[in-house]
Amino acid sequence: MATALTPRTDVAGIYRPAGHLDIATALAPYKGLWDARLAAHLFRRAGFGSSPDEAAHFASMGVHAAVDGLVNFAPTDGLPAPDNLYDPRTTLMQYFQVGMRPGALDDMTKRKIGQEVRQNERQSIISLQRWWLNRMLVTPAPLQEKMALYFHGHFTTAAIQKGVSPVMVYNQNQLFRNNALGNLRELTWQVSIDPGMMIYLDNARSDPQHPNENYARELMELFTLGIGNYSEQDIRESARAWTGWILRPRDGTVQFVPFRHDSGSKTFLGQTGNWAGRDIVDVIFKQPDSAVFFANSLLNFFVYNGPEPQLVDAVAKLIRKNDFNLKPVMSTLLRSKVFYSNRAYRALVKSPVEFTIGTYKALGAKAIDDRAQRALLQMGQILFYPPNVAGWPGGANWLTSQTVIARENFLASIVNSPMMDGVDWMQKMPLKASQAAQQLVATVLHGDASAQSVAQLTDYLNGAGTSALGMLSGENYPERIRGAAYLTMAMPAYQLN
Amino acid sequence: MKRSNFLAGTLSGLAVVANTQHVFAQALAQTPLSGLPGAANRCLVLINLQGGNDGLNCVVPHGDAQYYQVRPTIGIARNDVLSVNDRIGFNPSMRSFKAMYDKGMVAVMQSVGYPNPDHSHFRSTEIWQTAAPDKYEHTGWLGRYLDEANLPKDNLFNGVAIAQVLPEVMVAGKTDVPAIAQISGYGLISDRNNSASMAYTKLVSDNRLPFSSPYLAHVAEIEDHAQKGSQELPKLIAGYKPAGAYPATPLGRSLALAAQIVGSNLGTRVLYVQHGSFDTHVGQKATQDRLLGELSDAIKAFYDDLAAHGNDNRVLTMTFSEFGRRVAENASRGTDHGEASLLFLIGGGVKGGIYGAYPDLADTNMGNLKFDTDFRSVYATVLERWLGRPSAPILQGQFATIAALG
Repeated sequence: MATALTPRTDVAGIYRPAGHLDIATALAPYKGLWDARLAAHLFRRAGFGSSPDEAAHFASMGVHAAVDGLVNFAPTDGLPAPDNLYDPRTTLMQYFQVGMRPGALDDMTKRKIGQEVRQNERQSIISLQRWWLNRMLVTPAPLQEKMALYFHGHFTTAAIQKGVSPVMVYNQNQLFRNNALGNLRELTWQVSIDPGMMIYLDNARSDPQHPNENYARELMELFTLGIGNYSEQDIRESARAWTGWILRPRDGTVQFVPFRHDSGSKTFLGQTGNWAGRDIVDVIFKQPDSAVFFANSLLNFFVYNGPEPQLVDAVAKLIRKNDFNLKPVMSTLLRSKVFYSNRAYRALVKSPVEFTIGTYKALGAKAIDDRAQRALLQMGQILFYPPNVAGWPGGANWLTSQTVIARENFLASIVNSPMMDGVDWMQKMPLKASQAAQQLVATVLHGDASAQSVAQLTDYLNGAGTSALGMLSGENYPERIRGAAYLTMAMPAYQLN
Repeated sequence: MKRSNFLAGTLSGLAVVANTQHVFAQALAQTPLSGLPGAANRCLVLINLQGGNDGLNCVVPHGDAQYYQVRPTIGIARNDVLSVNDRIGFNPSMRSFKAMYDKGMVAVMQSVGYPNPDHSHFRSTEIWQTAAPDKYEHTGWLGRYLDEANLPKDNLFNGVAIAQVLPEVMVAGKTDVPAIAQISGYGLISDRNNSASMAYTKLVSDNRLPFSSPYLAHVAEIEDHAQKGSQELPKLIAGYKPAGAYPATPLGRSLALAAQIVGSNLGTRVLYVQHGSFDTHVGQKATQDRLLGELSDAIKAFYDDLAAHGNDNRVLTMTFSEFGRRVAENASRGTDHGEASLLFLIGGGVKGGIYGAYPDLADTNMGNLKFDTDFRSVYATVLERWLGRPSAPILQGQFATIAALG
């Protein structure tokens, strides 16, 4: 009953660029002009942005060397590990004596333990978020972190709810990182038996008498095939096949327990057998729709929203040809003509993480500060807490009155912080207002503003609208430059990736 | 480089904005009224019970022995149910809501759903919000209402979503609905400086950019609306004082803001708030009872406040949820995604009572309740009998209305 998937272009708030797709050459290597503007485009998409010096450096390398550097990254084991992750058992040990039964504790104590555990878990997740954000900022392998962020939004799991512990969150995050450019089939299998996922989508609680359908459904709907490419019966059969996997209460590790597995015959996507979980993944990846689904998803995340069916098909073909190995697929995509086309340029809305880390990058910061996590909360993207199992909706959905105000206020706050004193290019601004405006637009927006806007910025630098009207001078210079830096980043182009 | 705060400047920019405050009141007075008397002052508050609220443990069929057979651990004991009649009654955590029902303020719409129900949260939420079960629709049904209702175009608050992300139900073709999570934090720091504020206004409308983007117009519009709306809204609603305390829950805070917006006469016709998550696959009882208690107490506080300001008769509240849940409980003392369920109409215009077919636990779709009333009939009722608009163009089809609204 599976029907061919038509990638949706009519999802609310998701817009495809205007203009015509040249499908014949879309995936051919880009051979046009390569400059800092396009280098910055590449690093906004395949990483988290670049400082002006980095953009110039990548521009000098040429497109192929730049992409090679991104996809053939060296091991990143040398980067700092997260702080010690909180283990709820440490709290429980404080209250329980050896041989004590849970019933021995009164309700008040149990509540107190619960509160303590939740609070410690929250703190631990906040510290883990800070660790990941800093890693995005400083890693020499930005594509590895970008893929981890992509997979976090794709194979969603939310922390703490349902008992997903900080250790599980970290292990899942490492799974994404270690498989960043690995095989999609293998990753899907690993995610299926990942403890965090098993708790979040209830496979850990399934049993042969009452198979839980939550994971079986989302595995096909959101992770691999897309809605309309399977039946309700397929979900029920898949749920039966996934029974048997449990988390050992002692240490939370995964174990397959044959007597909890429904070993009977199942008919799944038209194939009959005594399927278990691994077979389900393999059958799914034999469906042509799985490559189409990932092609559409990768194009939406890295190239532009609502990609045309022909483009999706071409990338799906590439994925199948490489047997779901991502490295050659991403390598082709990131050096393709369509990736550097005008239609793809600034065609995505920056996610809050891209917006925030990109700003620290542009300012050459070595670490994020307290602002970042507060701002991300207000912008609507909290790492390890996707809004639901479908992940973040993206596109125009990122931008509401509330979230745009949060974005602008983050910028306003950061330009007034001591961090700005250390920003090299800010120190080297010309004294003449028109030149300073030009340079800000070139540095921050890679020239993506009109002559009128440069004139507006010049007027601002010269004191338009203030009671003490006066040209840019030594006295008002630092304040006005900061204000102009804010205004440059507040321009529409800066919201776009 | 010496640091100084460019933003801590003059406040004189605010004076410019103050003059525009009364534009809304004037525009409102000129609005072409709909056919219904008083309709121009009416407001609909939509409460999204996210995650799939289990109807059977919300309004409990305590007269049905089968209910207790299929729900041995999570079924709500007959003695605990707040009985409405010998067949059904409210969940015991909904005491204040039951009191409102007893006063005739609540219509319970039973067995609401749609043909070929989808069990996915996202698709079914989308179906309820777009009112389009058979196709992928870009706009929400309230978004289409806002587009078609001849509301003043310069009013930024015809619809308001009290949420961080704009819900699909409020996505419109021609109307930008502000999404406001809370009023504190709804303002640009740069507006504290006249010079920066002026420059911002001009820069965000730069429409001669050296590149094109499918999102450019949207970004510019939202940046502009964010500035204008946040300059104006806090001042417009500052005079309103709630008559009593609201529960200190997210829903309590959302409905307090809703009452403030309604009571400040901004011309707001539709408001959206959300509550949840009701996705109770595991250990349903504790979660759902808590959420229903919060719902009940927040709605009670909301209508008490509205009544104290004389606004209760012009505010209709409607709940919805993407689906009900499986009739039988699962092995985890929870319930899986189901189909038909119930919703509530509360307050203005409501003829209190029980509407629609009682749920039939014996005759199911593979363990899921069948629907009797299409949800679009409820929408048609709200559009025609409350908001005073023809429903067919908005719902893209004609649906019978229901007697639950006067």
